[in-house]
Order: sequence, then C-alpha cells, then structure tokens
Amino acid sequence: MSQPEAIVELSIPSRPEYVGVARLAILGVASRMRFSYDEVEDIRLAVGEACTSVLDRVEGQAESPPIEIRCLIDPGKLTVEVTDRVAADARAVLEASAGGPDDVQLGGVLIRILMDEVTADENADAGTHTIRMVKYVAR
Amino acid sequence: MNLRVETTTPRENVAVVSLTGEVDVYTSPRLKQEIVDLLNQGLTRIVVDTTKVEYLDSTGLGVLIGGLKRARERDGDLRLICDSPRILRIFEITGLTKIFDIHRSEAETLEALK
Repeated sequence: MSQPEAIVELSIPSRPEYVGVARLAILGVASRMRFSYDEVEDIRLAVGEACTSVLDRVEGQAESPPIEIRCLIDPGKLTVEVTDRVAADARAVLEASAGGPDDVQLGGVLIRILMDEVTADENADAGTHTIRMVKYVAR
Repeated sequence: MNLRVETTTPRENVAVVSLTGEVDVYTSPRLKQEIVDLLNQGLTRIVVDTTKVEYLDSTGLGVLIGGLKRARERDGDLRLICDSPRILRIFEITGLTKIFDIHRSEAETLEALK
C-alpha cells in the first residue's frame, strides 16, 4: 500500500459528549478534499456512527479507553480508521442486518451504506478493534 | 452544537416537539425523556418536528422508533415533520420511511391527525 499524502490523528475519550468533537474534526478533513457537500455529510455521519458503536460496547465495561481516529488522506480517497481497546467485539456492529429497529444495527447499516468500503478488524495481540472506512473522490 | 427541545400543544391530546440542533448519542436522551414525559401525561399523539435538525444519527432514530412503539401501545401515534433532504435521506436509506408518517409541515400533520 502506498503512503498516504497526509495523516490526521485524533484521540477522544469514549464518552458521548466527545463524539461531536470527532465529527467536527472529520468535517474539517473531508471539506479540504474534493468531496461534494453530500459526501462530506455522509463521511461525518459514518464516522459519528463508528464512534457511537464504540460507546455502545463500552457500556457495562469497567474501563473506557479512548477512541483513536486516524484519517489517511489520498488524492483519490479518504480512509478513516476508528480504533478502540474495548473488550467486546466490534465486528458484530457491521455484521448486524437491517432486520430489527435497533439503533446499534441501524448504525452499522448507515456506515455500510454511506461509505464505499467498510471492514472491521480485530488485533488480538494489541487488544484493538478497528472499523476502517473508505470514501472515494468521484472522478 | 447542542439540542434544543421545545414542546407546544396546538390541540388537545396533540404535542408538537420541535428540535433544533443535533440529535446524537449525547443529546438523544433528552428527546427520549421528553417523549416519555408526554406519554406519561397522557399526550399520546406526538409530532416531532425535525425541520431545524442539523444532524441525526442512529441513536436519534432509535429514540424515535421507541417513541412510536410506546405511542402506538397507548393507541396514539408519533409522526414526523421533515423538509430537509439530508434528514429525509437518513430515514430513506434506513427504510424508516415505511414505518413513520412523514409530513412536510405542521399544518399538514395536524390536518392528517384530525
């Protein structure tokens, strides 16, 4: 994989009042790229949902470690990685279907629809979960 | 940006909850509480006006779905006013336009609730 043109990183506490901070940051990053207004809004919502899904998994856990947001900026695409160290698995968020009116499931549905590529990875050694989302700039 | 929740009762047994700002994981508990309070007061026909909502996420959608369910359990209803293409799109892509009655204006909603 080639090196991204620029990287923007942000770490937020896994608390509801900070998800808005992540959304503001991603709005700034995406606005600098050649995305349309609607695409910028899609990215903002998807990143907000990814952070919110971490909060859902933090509930009931003894510790609430920070959420790391990493934006890899390329001329033709933006990749956003949302990583956490919460014990519960992140993959279920994306595997959930739109079957039931549950907001956790809706969050996963939104992420998948709004972004062009979405994957969830677990790094057992590091104890991290990452939701990786890519949005391509229209040619 | 925060969320402002203002409720009016333009008609007996109809409450219009007007939202201004962002409905997300931080602010949606306030909307939920407002809906629960209205239902507990016996106001079972609720209209949520999203005209001035700038951001709506799955947590907000979850609160609206829960409100609709609770209202219907009490023979009531929860309808939406939405004229923003951006917010409407969120209801469309999640398939929620099928379960909510969505109106363009308060006048249109009140007419439909007659």
